[in-house]
Amino acid sequence: MKGLRSWQLWAVLGIAAACASVPLYVRNDYLLQVLFRIALFSALGLAWNLVGGYAGQLSLGHVAFFGVGAYGLAIFTDLGVPRWISMLLAAGAATLLAAIIGRIVFRLRGPYFTLATIAAGEVLRLMATNLKITGGAIGLTTPALFSGQLFWKWFYLAAIGLALITLIINYRVSRSRFGYYLMAIREDEETARAVGIDSLRCKLQSLLLSAFLTALAGALYGSAFQFIIPDSVLALDTSVQIAIITMLGGAGTLLGPVIGAVVLLSASELFKNQFKESHLLIYGILIVAVVLFMPEGIVGALQHLFRRRTKPPDVAAGIAPGGRDLSGSGTPRRS
Amino acid sequence: MTPILELRNVSKRFGGLAAVKKVSFTMNEGEIVFVIGPNGAGKTTVFNLVSGFLHPNEGTILFEGQEITRSAPHDTARRGVGRTFQIVKPLPNLTVLQNVMLGAFMRTGNVRAAEEEAVKILAFLQMQHLRDFPARGLPLAALKRLEIARALATKPKLILLDEVVSGLTTGEALALAELLKGLQEWGVSVVGGVEHVMQVVMKIADRIVVLNYGAKIAEGAPEDVVKMPAVIEAYLGPKYKELGR
Repeated sequence: MKGLRSWQLWAVLGIAAACASVPLYVRNDYLLQVLFRIALFSALGLAWNLVGGYAGQLSLGHVAFFGVGAYGLAIFTDLGVPRWISMLLAAGAATLLAAIIGRIVFRLRGPYFTLATIAAGEVLRLMATNLKITGGAIGLTTPALFSGQLFWKWFYLAAIGLALITLIINYRVSRSRFGYYLMAIREDEETARAVGIDSLRCKLQSLLLSAFLTALAGALYGSAFQFIIPDSVLALDTSVQIAIITMLGGAGTLLGPVIGAVVLLSASELFKNQFKESHLLIYGILIVAVVLFMPEGIVGALQHLFRRRTKPPDVAAGIAPGGRDLSGSGTPRRS
Repeated sequence: MTPILELRNVSKRFGGLAAVKKVSFTMNEGEIVFVIGPNGAGKTTVFNLVSGFLHPNEGTILFEGQEITRSAPHDTARRGVGRTFQIVKPLPNLTVLQNVMLGAFMRTGNVRAAEEEAVKILAFLQMQHLRDFPARGLPLAALKRLEIARALATKPKLILLDEVVSGLTTGEALALAELLKGLQEWGVSVVGGVEHVMQVVMKIADRIVVLNYGAKIAEGAPEDVVKMPAVIEAYLGPKYKELGR
């Protein structure tokens, strides 16, 4: 769980700048749309990572915040609010919703927590399907945050920007006391409480932050596709996809969600073109393989590999009476 | 002087089972008190009640004269009650250093300050050489020390040690006991609960509280308590008397 060193941060900024320059030479709308989705899901994975990765709370209800972001944008704009302010208002509404949902679901743990988050998302989907204000099953048209011929370029850049902001937030969190608190809660909630951590409050704070960012991504997505229905922005599938992307890349790591989004979404696009109908099967096999052989995700597996090289595993960490090192390896080794 | 910890007629029932029955005892500053008793006597329950992980059905618990009977665990911890877990509960994927830092974060928001504090505590517990290893996979002796280190890092006024020496070899246990005496230099009063390692209790306790079936059956100085017929009957066994301790 080592954070980035400063040169690594510069490297990330360099990569971000490279990503931002992509529209200079990619003018194909289809490709830009795919890249937009990758960037957007990187942001979504990173936002989810705060709750599902660092705090270890496996939420499958994040689509609720995603959907509120998209619907909020449409509804607030319809009420006459300027669209960019609508987007922020929608994110605010999602944060409020997170405060309510969080107070309920965080009292549960493990699979019960996950089931409750699924239920929360489904309740929202059903509400959107049946309420007049959300247009029912027919849905709503969304205001265009960007328009004109090059609108995919702007959506792509906005998604990159959001992903970068979310990455920086992840970075800051991972290096702070708050981040340590979240990791402690993930590792053992009882122990966390024994060292004075108000676990409910910390989980809630991580969810509020995550929900706000998720809703911004939802608004971008809704606006980019111009039209939203409950099954597009409130579907359980999206929650699952966000979680899988993060876990595949490495939950609780900084770059895991980004790598997960790049690998999974580009694989999915390639297979869709190459294998037609069977692409879902291959997609599924890929996920099973990662879960079986890299349970800590791609970044986790790489870290293990790296650690095995730098730290000889022969140092049996023994303490003898009097605290002498009994590892038999002579001098104790560090780092 | 107000006692640092006071239990007044504390009872806890789990359904029909009375795990703790009207237990009262106090704990003064600078004291090392051990709670002993056979398996199932209610020692761990008493610790859970004091640290806020359980709340009593009856009775009052006071810490530095203030009521903490119904405080949440994190509130109790912030007031200055540190605890270890009998069944060790490390943060397995974090390093030893990070485990201890989490304790230190209770008193500082600064990552570097927490790290410095953690390093000092690891040195005190003679486990500096383990600092960068993940807690998962450490042997029990190291994990028991890690429990103490993490609790100590919260700078508690009272530290509850739940069987930190049980499960260790006699040599390991005695080495740890030496360290426990040093805890007072960190400004900590100590309550330990130990099951089998009477040598450790005799060596470092100022006072012993004996529980049996959830009730307090004896209390006093170690040398007096081990001679009490009720204690020998309930816990130590007749052999203990014959052996002359």
